[in-house]
Amino acid sequence: MSVLAYTLAVFILATAVATVLFRDVLSVIIVFGAYSLGMAILYTFLLAPDVAMTEAAIGAGVTTLLLLLTIARTTRPSTDRLRERVHLPAVAVVGAFVLLLCVAVLPEMYAVGITETPVWSNPDVTQHYIRETYAQTGVSNAVTSVLAAYRGFDTFGEAVVVFAAGVSTLLVLKREVFA
Amino acid sequence: MPDPYDDTYTESQVIMTAVKIIAPFTLTYGLFMTFHGGDAPGGGFQGGTIVGVTVLMLAFAFGIEPTRQWLRNSFLVGLITGGVIIFGAIGLGMIALGGNFLEFYQLKEIFHIKPKWGLEAIEIAGISLIVSGVMISLFFSMAAGFSPERPSGTGGREESADRGVSDDD
Repeated sequence: MSVLAYTLAVFILATAVATVLFRDVLSVIIVFGAYSLGMAILYTFLLAPDVAMTEAAIGAGVTTLLLLLTIARTTRPSTDRLRERVHLPAVAVVGAFVLLLCVAVLPEMYAVGITETPVWSNPDVTQHYIRETYAQTGVSNAVTSVLAAYRGFDTFGEAVVVFAAGVSTLLVLKREVFA
Repeated sequence: MPDPYDDTYTESQVIMTAVKIIAPFTLTYGLFMTFHGGDAPGGGFQGGTIVGVTVLMLAFAFGIEPTRQWLRNSFLVGLITGGVIIFGAIGLGMIALGGNFLEFYQLKEIFHIKPKWGLEAIEIAGISLIVSGVMISLFFSMAAGFSPERPSGTGGREESADRGVSDDD
């Protein structure tokens, strides 16, 4: 992890805290968009460009637009205070939980990219898709080949879930047409 | 085109110009990601989202109501259900060729083409259609919103006329 990655991690933490603390809804939506963009860049640092693109398009793009549309259709409560009031007992409980995670769980996690991780403990399986993808499917992006060829049935289910999301929106809004 | 009932829209020269410049690039990038997902990062889900976002951006810049009249309900429903039907049909087609559901190996043995083309077909004609259609539809349904007094199941245009009258009081 380079200096840039650490700077990015600090930026993500700062925007996440700002999302919680800001009082004004529009400010919250804007910092939340910045948080998603930071996460997308962090995913590219972790060599997961497919996830990064999804995060940038869905998290920073569509979610921000839909939230903006929601406050445009409902109300944006006017406020003079910059900061949300902090509930101290809740902060204490959540803080204790985070501290526990940092002390007990974080040291047990493997460093990024080392070969002792459990994922690599069975190289016959994990290396199989990386080695055989091009010969078996003819595409060079292993993520796409697993998604659409090796696990095509799962992806069919996912696509139907997206379809169901569209249908259930109509049900919730009690409408029969989208437009 | 200022509409009295479209209270989500404010005409802004800055946004309109920015979207005019950006939209061709995002549309091209979304299509590239969809069609080139096999050999580069991306694929139907990401590409379909970016194509959908291009329409959302246009709606934000030039008004939701004109965009909604341009993209009819039947077109959106056709995109979403068509994507699911094409995806399922390709899967069943592989059974017809003697394999399992969505098993593209049959393409190699019967037609002597790479299994890649079956995979690209479900990415381009299945997933990306469903995802872009649902993105645009979610946006339009949320923009239309929900009000209890409005009768359910009416088309966009009749309804907006109703709203125009009821908002006057």
